[in-house]
Parts: sequence; structure tokens; C-alpha cells
Amino acid sequence: MTESHKNSRRQPDPENNIDFSMVIASAVHDMKNSLGMLLHSLDELRQEQASTLSGSSRFNTLQYETERVHSDLVQLLGIYRLGERTLSAHIEEHFVPDFLSEHLARHQPLLDGYNIKYDIESDDISGYFDDDLLTGVLNNTLNNAIRYTKGKILLTAHQRDGYLVFGVEDDGSGYPEHMQISGSVGFKSLDFKTGSTSLGLFFASSVAKLHRNGARQGFIKLHNRGTLGGGVFEIWIP
Amino acid sequence: MTAPATSKNDADFYKLRYLIIDDFENFRASMRQMLHGFGASTVEAASNGSAAIQQCTYGHFDVVLCDFNLGEGKNGQHILEELRHRKLLKRSSLFLMVTAETSKEMVMGAREYQPDAYLTKPINRAMLEKRLGGLIAQRSVLLPINREIDLENLPEAISLCIQAIPKFPRYRSWLMKTLADLYYQMGDYSHARKLYDEVLEQRDLSWAQLGRSKVLLAEQSYDQAELALKSLIQNHPDFMEAYDALAETLAHKGQLSKAQRVLEKAVELSPNALLRQKSLAHMATSNQDIEAAAEAWRRTVGLGAHSIHDDADHYLALGRALSELSDENLEETGQAKAEEALKILAKMEKRFSERSDLRVKSLLIQSRVHAGQKRGDEATKCLDMVTQDLDHGTMDASMGLELAKTLFRLDRHKDAEQLLGKLAQRFESNPEIIQQIENLLDEPVGFKQKLKARSLTRSGIKAFEDGELDKAAETFEAALEIVPSHAALNLNLVQVRIKQLSEGSQNPDFIRQCQRCLSALEHIPEQHRQYRRYTALRSKLETLV
Repeated sequence: MTESHKNSRRQPDPENNIDFSMVIASAVHDMKNSLGMLLHSLDELRQEQASTLSGSSRFNTLQYETERVHSDLVQLLGIYRLGERTLSAHIEEHFVPDFLSEHLARHQPLLDGYNIKYDIESDDISGYFDDDLLTGVLNNTLNNAIRYTKGKILLTAHQRDGYLVFGVEDDGSGYPEHMQISGSVGFKSLDFKTGSTSLGLFFASSVAKLHRNGARQGFIKLHNRGTLGGGVFEIWIP
Repeated sequence: MTAPATSKNDADFYKLRYLIIDDFENFRASMRQMLHGFGASTVEAASNGSAAIQQCTYGHFDVVLCDFNLGEGKNGQHILEELRHRKLLKRSSLFLMVTAETSKEMVMGAREYQPDAYLTKPINRAMLEKRLGGLIAQRSVLLPINREIDLENLPEAISLCIQAIPKFPRYRSWLMKTLADLYYQMGDYSHARKLYDEVLEQRDLSWAQLGRSKVLLAEQSYDQAELALKSLIQNHPDFMEAYDALAETLAHKGQLSKAQRVLEKAVELSPNALLRQKSLAHMATSNQDIEAAAEAWRRTVGLGAHSIHDDADHYLALGRALSELSDENLEETGQAKAEEALKILAKMEKRFSERSDLRVKSLLIQSRVHAGQKRGDEATKCLDMVTQDLDHGTMDASMGLELAKTLFRLDRHKDAEQLLGKLAQRFESNPEIIQQIENLLDEPVGFKQKLKARSLTRSGIKAFEDGELDKAAETFEAALEIVPSHAALNLNLVQVRIKQLSEGSQNPDFIRQCQRCLSALEHIPEQHRQYRRYTALRSKLETLV
């Protein structure tokens, strides 16, 4: 206790040794909150101006991109806390169908705007997980699905091999071969040079791993064997 | 499933009364519109904490939707605490915290009261309807239980919980948590523990680990509690309540500096919980770590600005700590602390102007601050201003101790001892006050001297245990120069000398020294912690003379 306590007080040199990740984190925090306000306004605007905006693709893009950056920032803060070792899973019992429908409700206006059909297929079960962390992961995955779908998205939750498996499926062209994984994504496997960093997958995989039950640990799975024919993202919670 | 998923029934929304608290007009309006859209008829709004509390004082609400960050003034957590603490909002009413944060525990740092649910921004209509619908459905199922809790009829609440568990599997978690907590509150620890064990058998859940540890703590199984809490913190470094419980456990084990470090870690992670800062301040004070105590009191006072837990005692405690720190320190740092003490006391008198006793206590501390800065005239002036108002026969114990401390500081030892003697008589049946009186009589000096005397005492005891009797006696003598009336210390010296005499020493000075030490303790009453040791050593000495 004593030692870790002492070490955790980092004393940056006031001249040039800036704790940059902390600076970034607090800036990200501000940006995230601003985007939250922006999203709120967009939602209201969509409602007030339903007749003119309901089919506007530019308005959809506006909302989609804002949504995407917002959830990216939430994820970034999560990764920051992961690095600081202050991110832990607060696992509680949740009624799964309620969780999914509450979750989907957030995306409803945008899905309607894009005219994307959506559905939930869930067992009537309770599960043990951290709803905030799972929300973060599913937000990202849903945004991804919205981007690649032709017109259909399916949210699923089932009990399988002693795991609770959440799935997000779309009817797009599916994941390319090299992205189809099963297991975990380490920080080292991220490629910051190519631009497509798979940071989202890293975060999802980290969240999965924070969920443990006895000796078993959560993981993610990406494949194309879904009922809609497109990509399937799965997070397995023990 | 027996309960409906979410109530699509407008009637459920219709009959409830809502209060929206947000500093943005825009947001209030859109929330109001959404609620009306779901069928709600009574929706009120407030733009700040004081207005919201006013509205809850005169009106009843079933659902409060409160933004956490309200700019200047009270935040959402302050409002929640005040509403629940003053029972302006019943347990059967829902308090929903609206926040932009995803890491709640640390930001809120809540210790006592938690909201029924968090709503994370951004919030849209579809989401609010689903979420609120679910919560309202849950509320109506759990209403009978919460009503009994509001009436403080815990046994009835317990039996309702037991009946509900098989009927409402969807709310099993809430029911188990509530039931275990009700058992705990009733002091039925074995049932509480059985329930936590049952939950933990299925799943390692942190709330159940915490609950179980608290039961262990209540049952005085400190080692087990410590072990469980340490592993809980290791797995969940952001679970603040676990730190509180661990500190409490360590304090019970007498490991006060470890307890202080645990609380320090907790306030570093989550600095906004007033009560935790206050525990830390108390802990640091017991450890004579006055520097840390002052800092913690400073933050306690600061956090009190908008909190229901604000208390004049925090200001007094900060004043005392600063007075100790500035004592005899005439350099800039000491002057600044003395200045701060006077300022904080003035601020307190203004803020709590309805309490007449505060003026007197404030003047007594001010007197010590002046004395510590070698401003004798001002010190005497402050003391003189209060003495005619104080009746030694009727003043309460805290006032008496404050006055005695000041008398000691102004070198009026006889007056102080007389006063404490009188207090000890009046409060002889109150062991806590008696102990405070004894402590003050033992060590009527500043904390630096106290620490010095204590450290000398420790090394004296060590030398005695190692059989180095001359060294032990020397060390105790040095300590007694600082605190000559310290009962245990005087007896320590007597004990060393008696051992030397019984081992064959013929030194007549030893006997004279023992007699001096014992006569210094002649006045101690029978209920004194050291009385039996005193009489035992006295008779032993008589056999040697």
C-alpha cells in the first residue's frame, strides 16, 4: 500500500515534462461533453423539423458522424483509464432484453433516419456484466454496423456454452479475412501506421477481458456466419 | 416473466409527479416536453439546488431527474444528499442522476446516498421513455417494500422482500441487496452473511463482497474483514466504499497510520466526498499528523460550502489544527497559518451566526493562536473576553476542554488542572470525556512536543525490554521533562527504578525519584486508567524502602 501510494503521485517537472496523457484525457473529456450537447440538439432538431429532415441524408451524416466521434471519445477515455489501471468492471446483474432495448433506443432516431430495419433477438435471461462498459462497446459496434449495412441490423443475446453472448449483425459485405478473429486483441497488435488502428477492437477486447468468472475470461469474436449474411461482432461474457 | 417488460402504459407516467433540475433552460424545456409526450401531467422544474430543495420542501415528487453538474452552487450529489438526509424525498420516490460521465463512482465519491439510477447524456426521447418506463414499473413493484422502509418498519420490509424474491426474478438483484442490508441494519448479522454468501456462491459481485466485509467488521472479525477488503480493492481500485470499510477495520485493529494511508489513497482518487475527508482528518489528528489533518479539514470545510453535512465543528477543528501548526513558528509559514486560522474562525462566526457558543470557542482558539505568535496581550484579551461568560459548573465538556487547552497554552496550569478536575467529577460516568481529560492532563503541550515525548517513551520501553535499564530511565526522564504530569510515563520510570532496586541497586536517589514520581500522581482518581498500576507500584516500593 505504502509503495504504490508513493509511486502513484507523479511529479512532472514543471518546465517541460508535461503529463501529456492527462492533458489529452481532460481535453477529450471536454470534447465528449460538448458533443453530447450537440447530439442532444440534433435529436431535438430532428424532432422539431421532422417533415423536412426525416429523409435528409446530410442530416443523417451530421448526426452519424457526431455520434461516431462521441463514442470514439468515450472509448478513448476508457483506454486512458485502462492505462492508468483505474478501469475495472462493476459487474451487476441485469435483465438482458431490457438492457438491449434501452441501448437500441439511443440509436433509434438515426436508424429510422437511414431507414435501417432493426431488431432484437434475446433470451429472457438475466446476465452479469458492467452495463456502462458494454454500452461503450455496443455503441461503437452499432455505429460500425450502421456504416456497413445495406439496410438491416440485428442485436442478439443468448446463453451459449456457459457464456452470455451479445452479437451485432448486419447485412453488409462482412469482415475481410484478416479481421476475422476469435480471442483478444493486444495493444501491441495495433498498427498506428496504417491509419486503421482497430482501436475499437482493442477496447472491446479489453472490456471483454475485464469480465471474469472464476478462471474464465471474456473475449470477442468476428465472423461472417450470421443470419443476415453480413458481419457478426460477438462479445462473450463468462 | 411475471412483471411487464416496460410499461407502455401512459397511465403509469400520468399519475406521477416529476421534478426536473437542470441549469440549462433549453434542457429543462426539452425534458419537460418529452415527459409530457409520455403522458405525464405534473412536471415542475428548477434551475438550481436551492430552488429544487425549496420545491421538495413544499411539494411531493415521485420522480426527480437531476443533472449532476449545475454550475455554481450545489451539484446533483449535494441535492440528493440533502433531500434524502432531511427526508424531503421518500425512499419510495425515484432520484435519477443525469450525467455526462461514464465513470460515476469516482466523480460523485458518494458515501451514503446513491441515486436510484444514472442516466448518461446524451438522452433522447426513445431512450428516456424506455429507461424511465422500466424504472417506473420497477418502482411500482417495489413500492410496498420501500413504503415500509420509509416508515422504518424494517421487519415488515424484510418479510415483503422474502416474498418478492421468487415472484420477481427481474428485480432479484435489488431485492437481495436490500434484504441483506435490512438484516444488517437490524443487527441480524448471521442472516445478512448467509445472504451475501449465497450471492457470492453464484457470482463474485463487489457489492456482496463489501456487504460481507461489513458484516465481518460488525462481528469484530477484523483480520478476515481486512483480507476480504484488500482483495476487493485490488480487483476494484475505484470502489470507494471499500476503502472506507478497510480504514475502519484497520482503525479497529489499532493500526491507525495504515488506516490513514488507506483514506489518503481514497481521497486522492475521489476528492469530493465530505464525510471521507472528515474521517481522514480525524484519523490524522489521532496520529498527531497535524499537517495532514489541517489539509483534510481544509478540504472538509471547502466541500461543506454546498453540503448538508457542513458543520461549524469543521471550522473549529481546522482552526485548532492551524493553531497547533503555527505555534511558536514565527517565520512566514507560521504567520500565514496563524492568519488562516483567524480568517477561518471569522468566516465560521459569520456563517453560523445563530450559534452563540461558537463565538466563545472561536475566541479561545484565537487566544492560543495569538499566544503561539508571541502576542501575549492579544491572547490574554481574547481569554478575558470569555471568562466572565463561562461558568465552570455548567459548561459542557467540549467547552471545558477548549478552555483548559487555552489555559495551559497561556501557562495558567493551576487554573487548567482545577478546571479539568471539576470536569472529571461532573462527567465521571462518561468514559469518553474522562479519557479526553486524562489525555489533556497527560500531555498539555503542542503536537511537536507530544510527538517527541511519545517517541522518547517508545524508545524507553524498547530499552526496558532489552534490559538496558539505565538507558530506559534516562529516556523516560527526558520525556518527563516535556510532559511532567504524564501518568503512565511517571509510572514507567518508577517501574524501571524498582527493577533496578530489586536487582540489588542501593542508589538512594532512585527511591527519592520514585517518591517524587508517585507524589505527582497523588491526585489521580480511582477511575483513572493508570490507577491500579499506580497503587501496585506504590506498595511494591514500600516493600523495598
